[in-house]
Amino acid sequence: MPAMMTQDEVKPRMPMTSTYLMSMLAAACLLCTSALAQAPAATPGTPAATAGGDPAKGREKTQMCEGCHEIPGWRTAFPEVYHVPKIAGQHEAYIVAALKAYRSGERSHPSMRGIATPLSDQDIANLAAYYARGLTQTASK
Amino acid sequence: MMRATMSILLGAAAVLALPAAAADLSAGQAKAKEVCQACHGLDGNSTTADYPKLAGQYPDYLAKALRDYQAGRRKNPIMGGMAAPLTAKDIDNVAAYYAAQPAVLSTKPR
Repeated sequence: MPAMMTQDEVKPRMPMTSTYLMSMLAAACLLCTSALAQAPAATPGTPAATAGGDPAKGREKTQMCEGCHEIPGWRTAFPEVYHVPKIAGQHEAYIVAALKAYRSGERSHPSMRGIATPLSDQDIANLAAYYARGLTQTASK
Repeated sequence: MMRATMSILLGAAAVLALPAAAADLSAGQAKAKEVCQACHGLDGNSTTADYPKLAGQYPDYLAKALRDYQAGRRKNPIMGGMAAPLTAKDIDNVAAYYAAQPAVLSTKPR
């Protein structure tokens, strides 16, 4: 089971500036337009599967990740003891693939399966965007 | 006498507590050139999004991943084949080599 973090270890949120909000809005509009153009048959309101994740939304869902992955030197306790991998700066596509493989059970790890199971595809895309790029970078690598 | 026995026991305990022989970074690099470089890069910061960055990752995690691929506990058609011929020593060396490369990876997102 992932260890819980104490409150004072939690990273403070980024302040929401108006420039930031404007760029998010612009990005959202762009995403909607391209989603409609590429997938006219998609249900309205359903994010296209190909849409990149939103790092700010990802940041809101890290409660289950940060207690292990964001603590330098943190180790697993079960079923084997080793360092919990660093995921910040990892490729976005790789994080998406890893979470989906945990969710489907194809990649087996008791804690990670439990954590990935309730995540939607969009949650996974958002979390991957946040860990891969952080909140400051918009371009995917 | 008691003192001598104690120091022998303590000495033995200290030796036993040492980690298994330290990994050989240059042997790890040689193996990385041969097996891993094409996808993960020799510096471990792969440029292809499907292949994870390894540079600066924890060596015990990298070694565990390789052992899991080797044993079929973690299934991936490419990595299964790559890990299959590695010895336990190769795994320790290559994991230590990539862990020692300058990292893009970190625990906290920017």
